[in-house]
Amino acid sequence: MTYFGPEYYLLFLPAAAFLYAVMPRKARPYILLAGSYIFFWLISEKLICYILFSTVSIHHCGLWLDRIQQERKAAVKAAADKEEKKALKKVYERRQTLLLIGAAAVHIGILAVLKYTPFAIRNANIILEQINIQITPVKFAAPIGISFYTLQAVSYITDVRRGTVKADRNIGRLALYMCFFPQVMEGPIARYAETAEQLYRGEQIQYKNFVYGAERIVFGLFKKIVIADRLNAFVKTVFEQYDRYDGGIILLGAAAFTVQLYMDFSGAMDIALGSGRIFGVGLPENFRQPFFSKSISEFWTRWHITLGAWFRDYVYYPVSFSWASKRLGAAGRKRFGNYFGSMLSGTLALFCVWLCNGIWHGSAWMYLFFGMYHFVLIFTGNLMNPLITKLYEKLNVDRDRGIIGALRIIKTGFLVVIGELFFRCNGLKKGLEMFYKIVTGFSLKGMTTGVIYKSGLDYLDVIVVLAGVGAVFVISVLKERNVNICERLGEKNIVIRWGVLIGAIAAVVMLGAYGGEYTPADPMYADF
Amino acid sequence: MENLKTILEEIRPGVDFDTCENLIDGHILDSLAIISLIADIEDEFDITIPTVEIIPKNFNSAEAMWKMIQRLTEDEE
Repeated sequence: MTYFGPEYYLLFLPAAAFLYAVMPRKARPYILLAGSYIFFWLISEKLICYILFSTVSIHHCGLWLDRIQQERKAAVKAAADKEEKKALKKVYERRQTLLLIGAAAVHIGILAVLKYTPFAIRNANIILEQINIQITPVKFAAPIGISFYTLQAVSYITDVRRGTVKADRNIGRLALYMCFFPQVMEGPIARYAETAEQLYRGEQIQYKNFVYGAERIVFGLFKKIVIADRLNAFVKTVFEQYDRYDGGIILLGAAAFTVQLYMDFSGAMDIALGSGRIFGVGLPENFRQPFFSKSISEFWTRWHITLGAWFRDYVYYPVSFSWASKRLGAAGRKRFGNYFGSMLSGTLALFCVWLCNGIWHGSAWMYLFFGMYHFVLIFTGNLMNPLITKLYEKLNVDRDRGIIGALRIIKTGFLVVIGELFFRCNGLKKGLEMFYKIVTGFSLKGMTTGVIYKSGLDYLDVIVVLAGVGAVFVISVLKERNVNICERLGEKNIVIRWGVLIGAIAAVVMLGAYGGEYTPADPMYADF
Repeated sequence: MENLKTILEEIRPGVDFDTCENLIDGHILDSLAIISLIADIEDEFDITIPTVEIIPKNFNSAEAMWKMIQRLTEDEE
């Protein structure tokens, strides 16, 4: 089962919504929980035990932390003087930190063992070959969505430790937060404070929520089935047979993959948010028109937002404000001034974030390269920022508007496409070869001689893709201008509103790339 | 409070810190600015800001930062 298959729309979602609607309010969260576990079973079968273990363990650790916090309060209150209070605080802080580290290590450890063991063994064997020792390769089956729910588990337990959320005594609510079916496969990565209460509220399905949710789902399906899946064959051909093409076609292939990934992943998010909306649950947005970004750092505040925010809150800030980093920053500020001094500790944290980001995406060198590529781009941007700001001020030019703004958007788009080339390539060596061909063998000849039409796309495909991308672009421009399209559509009369929705469904059915010569592409982020 | 505003104006000139309430959520203070800001606050007010306090709620406005500083100063006394 995936979010894009007919069984989800014809069977699973209607059944879940029907049972949810007819049950009394108190039972509704448990309908969602049962539905979520059935969904998880359908995608991961017996590997469901991992998410069950995670849920039980964070529930237990949360309550344990809560107990320590209560004991701390009582002990500090009963302390005789300031010194004793200080010492007690230190003891209890340490205890909580140790528990947090233990809990996070268990969860990240499970993820690491399941996902990275073959990669670690493969690389260890290359080194061990020198001394004639080899480790037998092993591979573990990992449940789909483990990278997403693990981050949710770690964020919950960290937030309890930080005191920003209270430990949940209700394991049912916590379980639902961990495995709500619309988001368990590909995110968004929600925080406990964002969704747990909404999920457990058991709000009745409202007509408005139902229609808004359905509209969002259809938009997601359009992106995935009409655009992303149609591009799949072309992208696959270019990346597998890149030695047959000139640099121009390879760059076009990388751009097509970037569009495919965006349509696939943001389409999945539309379906997740739309499905959540039907049940009255507002999941966090994961995309905010990323291709309007004027810099790579801005891009990552608009693309996979919940992952970026997770790394910011649970890696970047803790590393930036660690004892060692503070010392480094203080020394740096004395020597290089406020901005560049802070950059020293910021850069250390930035490196950790992009190392983790690269590793999180998969166990291959190309993902590490992908992470380091973005680290270098953002670091360079930070380094150059004061100089460039001064330059624009001297020239009296607003760099966010007009032609300069447009050029910055194009430059960012190009850098993103190059990054995605390394993300999609079949191994880092091949990625570097493709990049080398773009730099040294760039030509528009392949595009003008109709090579595209022999590489998985026919004339009609190109027209449909261009029209589809154009439609998504127009909607993105409206969203960028804060136009709420669902609200606007809701103001129209019922004939227009349902006409648009039915027309969109018809477009998905008629223009969708499925059946016949099309090979359906698996949801791209489900494997991460 | 004035000391805090001076620090903020040095880091992000041209922002109305009396009224702005979305310094983090509105991306007015980015992560590098936060690093500078925390270092300056710690130096100026002789406090330590623990990681648990580094949440958008405490940095979205000058008022929220001031409340956090007062609370941490009381804790350290």
